[in-house]
Amino acid sequence: MNNIVEADNLTVTFRARGGGSFLFERGSNMINAVDDVSLRVREGETFGLAGETGSGKSTIARVLVGLYRPRSGSVKLQGKEIDFRKKADVTYLRRNVGIVFQDPVGSLNPRLKVREILNEALVAQKAFGRNEFENRIETIIDHVGLRKSSIEAYPRELSGGEKQRVSLARALVVPKKLLVLDEPTSSLDVSIQAQVLNTLRKLKSDLALSCLFITHDINVIKYMSNSLGILYYGKLVEMGPTFKVVTNPRHPYTMKLMANVPRLKRVEAQQELLTEQGPSPTGCIYSKVCPQVFEKCVNAPPLFSLGSDRFAACYLYEGNAQMSDG
Amino acid sequence: MQSSETANSHLLAVEGLTQDFATVDGRVRVLENVSMQIEKGEIVGIVGESGSGKTTLGLAIIGLLDSPPADIISGSIVFEGRDMLMLSASELSHFRGPVIGMVFQESLAALNPVYRTEAQLRESIEVLRRAQKLDLTEGAERKMMVDILKDLRLDKPEVVLKKYPHELSGGMRQRISIAMAIVEKPRLLILDEVTTGLDVYIQNRILTILKDLNQRTGTTMILITHDLTVASQICDKLFVMYAGRLMEEGKTQEVVNAPIHPYTQKLMAAIPQGFIDAPPLPAPTGEAPDIRSLPTGCKFHPRCPFVMEKCKENEPPLLEASDGRHVSCWLVEKK
Repeated sequence: MNNIVEADNLTVTFRARGGGSFLFERGSNMINAVDDVSLRVREGETFGLAGETGSGKSTIARVLVGLYRPRSGSVKLQGKEIDFRKKADVTYLRRNVGIVFQDPVGSLNPRLKVREILNEALVAQKAFGRNEFENRIETIIDHVGLRKSSIEAYPRELSGGEKQRVSLARALVVPKKLLVLDEPTSSLDVSIQAQVLNTLRKLKSDLALSCLFITHDINVIKYMSNSLGILYYGKLVEMGPTFKVVTNPRHPYTMKLMANVPRLKRVEAQQELLTEQGPSPTGCIYSKVCPQVFEKCVNAPPLFSLGSDRFAACYLYEGNAQMSDG
Repeated sequence: MQSSETANSHLLAVEGLTQDFATVDGRVRVLENVSMQIEKGEIVGIVGESGSGKTTLGLAIIGLLDSPPADIISGSIVFEGRDMLMLSASELSHFRGPVIGMVFQESLAALNPVYRTEAQLRESIEVLRRAQKLDLTEGAERKMMVDILKDLRLDKPEVVLKKYPHELSGGMRQRISIAMAIVEKPRLLILDEVTTGLDVYIQNRILTILKDLNQRTGTTMILITHDLTVASQICDKLFVMYAGRLMEEGKTQEVVNAPIHPYTQKLMAAIPQGFIDAPPLPAPTGEAPDIRSLPTGCKFHPRCPFVMEKCKENEPPLLEASDGRHVSCWLVEKK
C-alpha cells in the first residue's frame, strides 16, 4: 500500500520561558515538543496519535499543515519531499492537507456565513473555477451531514456538532490527500461525538480519505484508526496496528495508559494513578517512573521492531525482533 | 408535599421542583417536577446532554439563581431538614461555601487571574474562619493550604501556592477550584462538569481524588456531567435528565448494567466501542430539544426508537421499574 505521508525523524523545538534570545538557538532552554518522531500514513487508512496533554500530538498536526517548521527531519507528501523554507512547498502542503481543530467556536469566523467560510477556502486554494463553487459547497455540505439551510447560517446559529461539521466541510471542500483531525470531538457531548464519529467513518469510505486522527481518548482512537502511535513527552514510544497496541501493549507506558482507559464501571479509590512527574531529563524518557526500569535505561532507546509492523522504544525489546506477536 | 420526617431523613431532598426562566421570548420551563433524595456520604451523578437542566438544578440547590429571571413555580429543596427556598438571601449566604460548596466547569473563569493560588485559597479560609469563628494563626492558615493541596495530590504545594492561574495547567487549575471549595469543609459539594475538557488521564486522577476525599471525610457529592463513563466511575446513584426532567434514576451499577429508559440506552450506545471494523455507533439521532419549543407527550419521543402512539400525547410520570429504580417511560408501565 502507498504511503500518503512519510515523516522521518521529525524534531520540533520551542524555546522555553526565560530561554535564549532566538527561537531556534541551540541551548538548554530549548524544549523538544516533538523528538525524533517517524510515522507513516497509508493511503485510505487512518493513523491515530494518542497521548496525554503536552505529549506533542498537536505539534505534529501543525507541522503536517505547514503551521510549524520542524527543526530537523523530513516530511514527504505522496513521495514529494517538503522543504519548509520554500514558500511553494509549504503552499503545496497546505493545499493538499486539510485540518480540523478541536475548538469549533474559535476556528470559525463569527462574522461569516457558512457559505462565505467555504468560499474562502475555495478561493484560497484555486482548485475550482468560480462557476463550480456553488456545486462544491452543496456537495460537501451534504457529505458532512449538514442541512442545506445551514449554508446561509452564521456559526453562532449552529450547535457545537454542526460547527464541527462546518470545519470538516471547510477542510474538504477542496479534495485533500490527507485530512488531519486534531481532537475533533473532544469538546462535544458524548451523543454528538458519536454522530460526528459516524460521519467521519462514512466520509472516510465515501471519499477514500487518508487521515491522521489525534486524540487523548483511547475509546475514540481505537474505534477510528487502523494504526496507532503512542506519544509521551514528544517521543513516540510505541507504534503498530491499533488492535494489537490496544489489546497487547508492549511499552510500559502504553500498558499503564491502556489500564487507565475509562470504562463504564466503578474505579476503586486507591487505584494506581498515572503519574504527573514529567519526563526523565536523561536516558529513556519514561525511566523516571517506569516500573520495569533497569541499567540500560540510562540511554535513550531507539524504536525496536517487534515484528508484524510493531515498534516499541524500550530496551526490554532489544534484540527481540523475531519475537512472536500475539 | 412530603411529610417533614421523610424529608428530614435525607441530607438533601428535592421534591417536585418546577422552575421557569423569564426570557425576552416569554417564560421557559427549565425544570419540570424534579425529585431526588441524596443521603449523607453518597456521591450521586446527574447525567444528560447539554441543555438538559443539570446545571440549573445544581444552581437551584445552592441558591445561586437570581429571581427574576428564575422563578420557582412549585416544589421544595430541603437540606438537613431546612427548606432552602424559605431562606432569606443573607441566611442563604451562610450556607454557601461552608455548608454547600460548588465547583464550576471553567476553572480559568472561576479563578481570579490576578490572584496567586494562596490568595484564592485565603479567601475561602476566611469564609470558613468567619463561619466557624475560628482563631487561625498565619502559620495554621498556611498549613491548611499546603495540606489541602497535598490532599489533591499536587506536587510541590509551596510552589503551586505562589503561582497565578495562567501558570497552571488545566488539571491543576481545576484542582485549585476544588481546593477552594473543600477547604471550607462543605457537607455537600456540587461539582459541575469538573472533568470536562481535561484529558482522560487527568480526569481519572481527579475522579480518584474525589472518591478518596469522599471516603476519608464523608463529604456528600453531586457530580454533574454529560459523560456517563465519568459518572459511572465514582457515583453511587445516577439521575439521568432530559429537557429539564428526570428520565431514569437508580443505583449506578444497575443503571449502567441494564439501562431501562431508551434515552439512557442511547447515551450508553454513544460511547465508542470496539475497533475500526465495528458497526456505526447507535447514538441518539438529532440533538437535545430546544426547551422553548418542546414536543408534546414524552419529550424524548421524536428521538426514541420505541415510540408508541401514547408517547406522543401523554408524558409518562416517573414509574417504579423495580426496587429503587424509577423510569419515566410508558414501556415500564406495559411490563
